[in-house]
Amino acid sequence: MPEIRNYTLNFGPQHPAAHGVLRMVLEMDGEVIERADPHIGLLHRATEKLAETKPFNQSMPYMDRLDYVSMMCNEHAYVMAVEKLLGIEIPIRAQYIRVMFDEITRILNHLLWIGSHGLDLGAMTMFLYAFREREDLMDCYEVVSGARLHAAYYRVGGVYRDLPDSMPKYTPSKWHSKSAVDKLNEEREGSLLDFIEAFTNRYPSKVDEYETLLTENRIWRQRTVGIGVVTPERAFQLGLTGPMLRGSGIEWDLRKKQPYEVYDKMDFSIPVGVNGDCYDRYLVRIEEMRQSNRIIKQCVDWLRANPGPVTVDDHKVTPPSREKMKADMESMIHHFKLFSEGYCVPAGEVYAAIEHPKGEFGIYMVSDGANKPYRMKIRAPGFAHLSAMNEMATGHMLADVVAIIGTQDIVFGEIDR
Amino acid sequence: MATIEIDGKPYTAEVGQMLIQVADANGVEIPRFCYHEKLSVSASCRMCLVEMEKAPKPVPACATPVMDGMKVWTRSPKALTAQKAVMEFLLINHPLDCPICDQGGECELQDISVGYGKDASRYGEEKRVVFDKNIGALIATEMTRCIHCTRCVRFGQEIAGIQELGALGRGEHTKISTYIGQTVDSELSGNMIDLCPVGALTAKPSRFNARAWELQQLDSIAPHDGIGSNIHVHLRRNEIIRVVPKQNEAINEIWLSDRDRFSYQGLTAEDRLTVPMIKKEGQWQPTDWETALQAAATGMKQIVEKYEPDQLGGLASATATLEELYLLQRVIRGLGSDCVDHRLHQIDFADQAHAPLFPYLGMPIAEIERCNTALIIGSHLRKEQPLLNHRLRKASMNGAKVMFINPIAYDFNDMRIAQQIITSPNDLITTLSGVAKALLVGKNNVIPQQLEDLLADTKVTEEQQTLAQSLETGDHRLILLGNLATSHPQFALIRALAVAIAKLSSAKLGYCAEAGNSAGAWLAGVLPHREAAGMPISTPGVNAYTMLNKGLKGYVLLGVEPELDSYDGAKALENLQKAEFVVSLTAYVTDTMKTYANVLLPISVFTETSGTYVNNAGTWQSFTAVVIPKNEVRPGWKVLRVLGNLLNVSGFDYDSSEQVRSEVCEKLGQKTTDNLNSWQVPNDLSARKIDGLQRITELPIYATDMIVRRASALQFTRDATSAKGVHVNSNVAAQIGATEANVVQVRQNAAKISLPLVIDERVPDGCVLIYAGQAENVALGSWHGWVELTA
Amino acid sequence: MKAIVSYLKSLFLLELIKGLRVTGGYLFDRKITVQYPDEKTPMSFRFRAHHALRRYANGEERCIACKLCEATCPAMAITIEAAPREDGTRRTTRYDIDFTKCIFCGFCEESCPVDSIVETSFFEYHGEQRGDLLMTKAKLLNMGDKMEAQIAADRAKDAPYR
Repeated sequence: MPEIRNYTLNFGPQHPAAHGVLRMVLEMDGEVIERADPHIGLLHRATEKLAETKPFNQSMPYMDRLDYVSMMCNEHAYVMAVEKLLGIEIPIRAQYIRVMFDEITRILNHLLWIGSHGLDLGAMTMFLYAFREREDLMDCYEVVSGARLHAAYYRVGGVYRDLPDSMPKYTPSKWHSKSAVDKLNEEREGSLLDFIEAFTNRYPSKVDEYETLLTENRIWRQRTVGIGVVTPERAFQLGLTGPMLRGSGIEWDLRKKQPYEVYDKMDFSIPVGVNGDCYDRYLVRIEEMRQSNRIIKQCVDWLRANPGPVTVDDHKVTPPSREKMKADMESMIHHFKLFSEGYCVPAGEVYAAIEHPKGEFGIYMVSDGANKPYRMKIRAPGFAHLSAMNEMATGHMLADVVAIIGTQDIVFGEIDR
Repeated sequence: MATIEIDGKPYTAEVGQMLIQVADANGVEIPRFCYHEKLSVSASCRMCLVEMEKAPKPVPACATPVMDGMKVWTRSPKALTAQKAVMEFLLINHPLDCPICDQGGECELQDISVGYGKDASRYGEEKRVVFDKNIGALIATEMTRCIHCTRCVRFGQEIAGIQELGALGRGEHTKISTYIGQTVDSELSGNMIDLCPVGALTAKPSRFNARAWELQQLDSIAPHDGIGSNIHVHLRRNEIIRVVPKQNEAINEIWLSDRDRFSYQGLTAEDRLTVPMIKKEGQWQPTDWETALQAAATGMKQIVEKYEPDQLGGLASATATLEELYLLQRVIRGLGSDCVDHRLHQIDFADQAHAPLFPYLGMPIAEIERCNTALIIGSHLRKEQPLLNHRLRKASMNGAKVMFINPIAYDFNDMRIAQQIITSPNDLITTLSGVAKALLVGKNNVIPQQLEDLLADTKVTEEQQTLAQSLETGDHRLILLGNLATSHPQFALIRALAVAIAKLSSAKLGYCAEAGNSAGAWLAGVLPHREAAGMPISTPGVNAYTMLNKGLKGYVLLGVEPELDSYDGAKALENLQKAEFVVSLTAYVTDTMKTYANVLLPISVFTETSGTYVNNAGTWQSFTAVVIPKNEVRPGWKVLRVLGNLLNVSGFDYDSSEQVRSEVCEKLGQKTTDNLNSWQVPNDLSARKIDGLQRITELPIYATDMIVRRASALQFTRDATSAKGVHVNSNVAAQIGATEANVVQVRQNAAKISLPLVIDERVPDGCVLIYAGQAENVALGSWHGWVELTA
Repeated sequence: MKAIVSYLKSLFLLELIKGLRVTGGYLFDRKITVQYPDEKTPMSFRFRAHHALRRYANGEERCIACKLCEATCPAMAITIEAAPREDGTRRTTRYDIDFTKCIFCGFCEESCPVDSIVETSFFEYHGEQRGDLLMTKAKLLNMGDKMEAQIAADRAKDAPYR
């Protein structure tokens, strides 16, 4: 009688469906997963430890690099933590800008998710359509911050610069004639807000297209319905947040439950799932995109009507304008000190969390009164989600692991950090 | 005692203390610019305004004496508003210089502006501009940045003792300036850089080199004088950017002499030796350590075997560490020779067997300022040990009677000198005898009868009588022997008379150490007549002067340039060149060195090695390396340790400099020294007779050792530039018919050179002052003797 | 009834045909592809890419070696050494940006009090050897000279917002 042994399979770290550098050791009985053991740490960059060695303002760009598909949301949690410690209230316009870009980021994140999730499960076209829309939102990122990904736009005390009044435009080339380019530039004639508004107007129809391609599709449903079911109780116990939790039917959203910035003034609803499987989570995320679109619209309207400052007028924390810095002594000194030493933050500890596209993204920070945090801890939603991997994958087929990784929306930047 | 309340909390304080002192002592922060704990109160900046109960207006905390029951608020709205307003005024005329200002990042104006000021300016008018002055090679000025706190002015008046900077004009037209285009020449001037709260005074040698935030701070001990000042070395990427004082109230307080502050420039001098070199068939070539050490060991062994052990001599500089010095004498003694010495400036060794354990100051350094009476014999103390002089000056300001017997009428920075007797080197013996005789009146059996008999014929002048009378006043009395006394041809006699004077006036006797580790060199046994820890040797070896003057077959040099560092440079050079084998452990290489040495071993300097300095008061201060030496440079103690191994000297298996240190420590045990019992009763009190002009030689402040001589900025100071030429007073100049800046022929012994003449009224009649440690003076030879000047 | 409808829908591949209609529509639609490098997507005047050191109109370099960019650089990518120039002014003797460390956050540009170090919109650079991505002062000044017109135009557009 030959001895029967389970296979042990290394999934990743170099696997296109591993979403980065996930290495998963799968113990398999035939094609059925007995145990899934995710290994992490291949993208560890000691972000938390590095933050202890840098003035508060200098760690901000590193937040972009945590979950690198929802950059501004990471920044948001960080600056909110510092602002809480400092006890400052940022201008209302900055709050609207932050909310608007948080939602743009949510759409960006979900678009990448749906593209890659589709690709993983055999729906290749989704990827192309999702990236087409992402391109427009990336342009918004670029025009406001100067970078398409790592924006470094949110600052303690507000946002770096106000929204620009013009959009860059296409220029004619041997491939595109003047008239073709004019067509491309149609939405770019006005300000950034006009551009965003145009986007929000056409975006719901795009989401409809995605749904036409996927929601009813038999292959899609076969790959997602009933896969990776998490009961509401277990979802709580496992610390799942965001769409992972709402997919299981629990109505929990920090934007509603602990509103920050101006979310309490926004009109939107939270979608929840019923079965807690991959399909429900897909539906939740699709609906979230529609809701984000609503929020963006409201923000655009408000922002258009209400100009004003976008950073607090306290140069002990935010650098003075360049004009002032070059003309008056106090501003010069404050500029110099802010960029060389940063500011000192009162001693204390704080936890600031936001509803990140992936779940609850929080920064826990301890200050000892110096210009650097004494300790900073990042609560990354993906980490809790990944730790539910074993439970979600056990008993499923190997191919379903890909669906579960996809539905968890894993990004290693935040898990390893 | 008074009880006061600051910010609602009760504190006890001495009546008469200033409010700010109580706040500082209890950790209550009050911003300030002009107030400094070591300086007088000027209350000119108004930054320390605080609210006081029953006072209609805020009061300056630095100038408000404490009274019982006082209630003060430092952070009340009224105080904060006042502070904010003051800050705004201070910044009105401040230029927007932060980006190009060296103080940026460590500037008190910036810090307090961020902490207490407004965040934007309301001032839009023209700003004041003040033109800069060049005030010397050490301090860069940017006077538009000045906020008139007058710390530098008060430092000049109160600490440095020469008022070089002053405030001119009033109100917005106030300017801090030197008196009409003069430079700042104080030997403590660097401290003004530390005191200046803004970027008006910054260090010139490190100008624009680094920002404060880039610097790494490591501690060390300054090697250039007997004080052993504690220093912070500021480094960036293994490069010393600057040196600043480390507070140690027992030693250097918060001050640092310019020599200790700027000597770091010498560490990166162009002539640093970075690889071992050996001379092969008359050609110098770089080599590896193994070859070089082997060559050194073989050469030394050959000398010992071919001639006799006593033909090998070791000469060390007292700026080397205790460990290096100890190992050097062990290597030499291991080969059977006792010819090892560090006393390169001394020639009278007659009573060396009776000398104290080490040149002890006679009291702790901080004690000096509590003296009531002090007599300093043969010392330009201000330039020899600037911070010792500062302590003495403090004593004089407190009413102590300070007297000098010197060959030159030195200027002692505004010190209240009770009496200064100027006497030529030859007459020094007569003067001291006179003082002793004057003190002897009415005292019996205090000094040996033999000495009393010798003094019987001495005549006492009025001057000496006055001095003697002054010496008998006050409780704390001190007699100090300076470096000019130590290098005197009749030093033994001077010591005997100084001891007699001290005993007769019941004073303490102290010696001024010549270099940073003179005391350490004595304790380490770098002496022909004593081993480590003062163990006497029955048949002493040859002393430094004889070694260099009579000539040996082989030499081992440790951090010495004998032509500049010894009493008779010309003769020293001649004999070294004649010697068969010379190995030099040195940090630098010069062309002169190449003419006499056979092996050159690159050793590290004080910042690159671990070691110990013993200061003038006998305090052992150990330090570790702060810089990694370049290339093949190795710590001296390691080189000597391997040399010891190669020469098969027993017990040479030290793994760390601490082991060497503890070995010396163990040998020393509890031994202490008493200067008053360490002397020899002389047989004769007659002075030497010289006809013609006597040479007076002083080792100038910025030529004392190899490192300082290479510190470029210091060499541009007045103290360095004025050490050139031949100094005589106008009478002597008239006699030879020469005037200022004429080149005159100087003849001493057989040597004849031309030097520019400098009219210097401090020099007494019948004397010429020629500085040592100057390359152009080397040919003249010994430090004392008869000199002929011809126009 | 519902079950029958759903069975028929499924039998006739209705949802697949709907999906194919979407993709088929795009088959005949105007292409959105941009033919890089012949043409490029629009670029914002705030774009942050390759650094440059600027000069004043008279040719004098702007940088005064204040080292704020070095201090504020979160990645410590900038290395500056400074010394007085012959005319006594404060100047850099070395200004290196290590592009392998740089995170292009733009803080150096924000901190510069004299608008010397800037991030241009030039993003098409590469290195073939390790040292190629170490931008020295000469390379950066050269970049500034080449891009000055673009740099100045971009800063002018952004000036009201900073």
